[in-house]
Amino acid sequence: MGEPTFDPRKKIRSLPVGTEVELTPPDGRTWHGIIVPSTEFSGENIVVLKLASGYNVGLEVTERDVLTVISKPRRPRTSPTVETVSSPPTEPWVALLTTGGTIASRVDYQTGGVKPVRDEREILAAFPALDAEGPVHILPVFERFSEDIVPLDWVALAQKVGECFGLGAKGVVIAHGTDTLGFTAAALSFLVRNPPGPVALVGAQRSPDRPSSDGFTNLPAAIHLARSGELGEVVVVMHDGVSDDRLAIHRGTRVRKMHSSRRDAFESRNAPPIGYIEGKRIELGGEARRPTGSPLRIDARLDERVALVTYYPGLTPVRLRRFLRNERGLVLAGTGLGHVAREHLRGLRKLIEGGVTVGMTTQCLEGGTDPYVYATGRDLLRAGVVYLDDLLPETAYAKMMWALGQSEDPARVRALLLEDQVGEFVTRRRLEDLP
Amino acid sequence: MKAGLEVHQQLATTKLFCPCPSELSEQVERTVRRRLRATGGETRALDPAAKFESALGYSFLYEVVPTTCLVELDEEPPHAINPEALDVALTVSLLLHAAPIDEILVMRKLVIDGSNTAGFQRTALVAVGGWIDVGGHRISIDTVCLEEDAARKVSEAGGEVRYRLDRLGIPLVEVATGPDLTSPEQVRDVAQAIGALLRSTHRVRRGIGTIREDLNLSIEGGTRIEIKGVQELRLLPTYADEEIARQRLLVRIKEELHRRQAPPPTGPIVDVSELLKDVTAGPVRSVLKTGGVAMAVGLPGFHGLLGRPGEPGPRFGRELADYARTTGVRGILHSDELPEEGFGAAHVEQLRNRLSLGKDDAFVLVAHANSAKATEALRQVLQRATAALAGVPPETRDPLPDGTSRFSRPLPGRDRMYPETDVPPVPLSSEHLTKLGSHLPERPEETRARFREQFGLSDDVAALLLQEGEADRFESLVRRGQPPALVVRLLTHDLPAFAATPRTEPVPEPSDDLLDSVLRALSSGQFAKEGVQPVLEGVLLHKRSVDEAVMSAGLAPMSRPELEALVSGVLDRNETLLRTRGRAALSPLMGDLMREVRGRRDGKEVAQVLERALIERLEKMGGPP
Repeated sequence: MGEPTFDPRKKIRSLPVGTEVELTPPDGRTWHGIIVPSTEFSGENIVVLKLASGYNVGLEVTERDVLTVISKPRRPRTSPTVETVSSPPTEPWVALLTTGGTIASRVDYQTGGVKPVRDEREILAAFPALDAEGPVHILPVFERFSEDIVPLDWVALAQKVGECFGLGAKGVVIAHGTDTLGFTAAALSFLVRNPPGPVALVGAQRSPDRPSSDGFTNLPAAIHLARSGELGEVVVVMHDGVSDDRLAIHRGTRVRKMHSSRRDAFESRNAPPIGYIEGKRIELGGEARRPTGSPLRIDARLDERVALVTYYPGLTPVRLRRFLRNERGLVLAGTGLGHVAREHLRGLRKLIEGGVTVGMTTQCLEGGTDPYVYATGRDLLRAGVVYLDDLLPETAYAKMMWALGQSEDPARVRALLLEDQVGEFVTRRRLEDLP
Repeated sequence: MKAGLEVHQQLATTKLFCPCPSELSEQVERTVRRRLRATGGETRALDPAAKFESALGYSFLYEVVPTTCLVELDEEPPHAINPEALDVALTVSLLLHAAPIDEILVMRKLVIDGSNTAGFQRTALVAVGGWIDVGGHRISIDTVCLEEDAARKVSEAGGEVRYRLDRLGIPLVEVATGPDLTSPEQVRDVAQAIGALLRSTHRVRRGIGTIREDLNLSIEGGTRIEIKGVQELRLLPTYADEEIARQRLLVRIKEELHRRQAPPPTGPIVDVSELLKDVTAGPVRSVLKTGGVAMAVGLPGFHGLLGRPGEPGPRFGRELADYARTTGVRGILHSDELPEEGFGAAHVEQLRNRLSLGKDDAFVLVAHANSAKATEALRQVLQRATAALAGVPPETRDPLPDGTSRFSRPLPGRDRMYPETDVPPVPLSSEHLTKLGSHLPERPEETRARFREQFGLSDDVAALLLQEGEADRFESLVRRGQPPALVVRLLTHDLPAFAATPRTEPVPEPSDDLLDSVLRALSSGQFAKEGVQPVLEGVLLHKRSVDEAVMSAGLAPMSRPELEALVSGVLDRNETLLRTRGRAALSPLMGDLMREVRGRRDGKEVAQVLERALIERLEKMGGPP
């Protein structure tokens, strides 16, 4: 230790993170610090040192620098550990399924990005008072950002939810990335039937390594709701406004992420949330579905061969066909009341005659579809397009997969699609429910 | 003593990580409620300062103003660092002979007192290792940083702190000196010199609170203490003096405790409400009467070391009270200030017995509605008393208006810094640095020399303009054709006097245009220089035009006959004075007269008229001239 080395550029790159070094460029200044990972956007010859003040600095190492190793890396401090429950406890308990995503993630200082945590114990370490009201059984299902989640994951989650209720959970909380949280919520609504307690999906728009993370409010609230056992449906629990004091309970089929970064990004469309949580108080609206007492059913059959396409000016029939290979279902997010260009009429009619189910939603997101107002709508309806009223395009997509999983018969699929399954249709849209 | 300074200067650019204007606002549109939680950084260890603040469990109310965007609300990721602000920081670095970092990395500094909505302050080290010469000494500059300012604290009550978001995110250049300062006066001089250098960039905000100093100070045997956020530069030597005295006291207390072989105080914390139920005055009585409790704890070896209220200089009792207050209690009572009225020697004796105290031991008492709160407060007292055995505990302290300071939180360590991953690193090219280096602004000492030559100012006046931060305004007004002497008087006399007048509402910074029109009216004889204050009041506080301000202040100039009539009236009323004092009556009469003229005629002219009339009158009266 202590002797200068020959090519400092090579040498410094060979040193492990955590090595304490002294770097002296020709200008005579001396940099004393610990090597920390440089960010993925750092320049090529940049080495990042953490100085005694805590600041990181990016230094360009040249061959004329003098590099001295002061000491080897110290053993990294381990994160605090918390015992997890290995078998379901005897008192009423809540299952917390983790899937990755911001709420169960931390900053990766190497890449500068946010990464899912590998260890569920870290979640309890990040949320110290999570089990203050009673046991929380943490079950990692997978660890992915929500943009990496695929429809098969919805099936795995639905089965896990079924297992938890089977073992006696009062409610199930699913910590999930927010990007596709709405899709998962809609899918689980159709896959998990008659849940005996709340199935609450929850996320965070700020990762829990930040003191201001909304996860610190959202997750305990979701667990509190799950423990109450008062709901018998799939919901999303997130901030109602940008304050930390009030959360909204959204029906899983009506909720959508409407902002890329705000805490109150999630909104129910066409109807108000079915309830709110303020502190320990749970306030449920008349629409909220209570547990029915009917046996829980996990409808894990799902046909993934569905395309979701937003119509846009310039989407020609040729382009549309590129989305379709062996798809059995197509959900269109049409314009206005549910329209696509008239040049699609022939192609859609042929698709439907070939056994493909085509559903129509509106890209306006607010309001329903209606085929009768304009000639295009009437023609599309005659061609066999199923008008899905005010289902969100994402909800229609999930429902289509579920319906196709239930039957091979397009007429039956069509009937299932039009039937209200879990309160997904609003039908009565009030003036004051506009956001 | 050994001291270092951190000078924080707000920049007059848009905010550091969003395009909002760097302006304060009084227009609150709505509020947002938040909570913050201490989190671990890269090393996952909790910082002592962050842990301390998290334990307080505060909730925060943020006032949203028209200039607030989603970034200040922590509802949107920060944008890339403001390149204009970075250039100012780099220019300052070059002026200070400091070396810029090759690649600038933005860090998060954990601060969970609510002053940042994110729970951290974004800060970047820009340059290191410079110097500045002040009063014949070369003072080292350790670092130049660029950071975002915190939200403005509006109020605090009942576990809730209210902040306004207008100040959050304003770019701050932070210049930190080495621990080279050896006297309280030098602290002030260096602060002034760095302030003048920062202003020489012409890109800084002006007005109260736009430049703030942190004073780091230790004495032999003491510890580095940070007095954070001094806004009154002239008080810096006082803060230094008071801190020296405080550290000396703590060192003496430590030595005395060692001499007495005092063990670390460990409690127990005892409920003494029953013993004190017949106390007849003070906070103990009112708390007990309303169903609260009184809790006490013994401090072995502390008898006589806590100090009596009213005693000059620092007192250890105050240190204990500062710690206790962080839990929300109003204060403490201790044995060195007892007995007092209504709290007799018998009560003290009973307490001492109950706590089994010896003659060298002291006790501390807290009365509060809630026994858990009182216990928590006494735990803080125990913690502070334990630290006394080791001398001066490292702390961040808040400056108070009287020149002393108060405990704010433990001194943070390096565990509170971790990378801001939302902002990409900024490489600095040598071309860019060369360009900045070749366009450096005039240094303060160069400006001073130029003011002497170009405008014929004396060296003292030129230095004063720079020290007061008025060089830019002086030059701007003189370039508009105003006479230098008049501008100097306005900037170094009238404006500071106007600003020093206590007022309930804040006074807006006057624009150069406005000052120009005031001076124009003054030099064209619309009012005399004695009328500057009322005119400033009219235009700044009542938003009047200069003409309206002159009219409404009754400053429309007096005609010569009016003045002569006024003079003759004054002489009539003071005949006795004329008889006894003769020509010496001039000076008292002048005072009376000026009060009546009130700036409506130039003072020199008033004096001439008065003198002539006085001589005539005395001649008429036939007395000796």
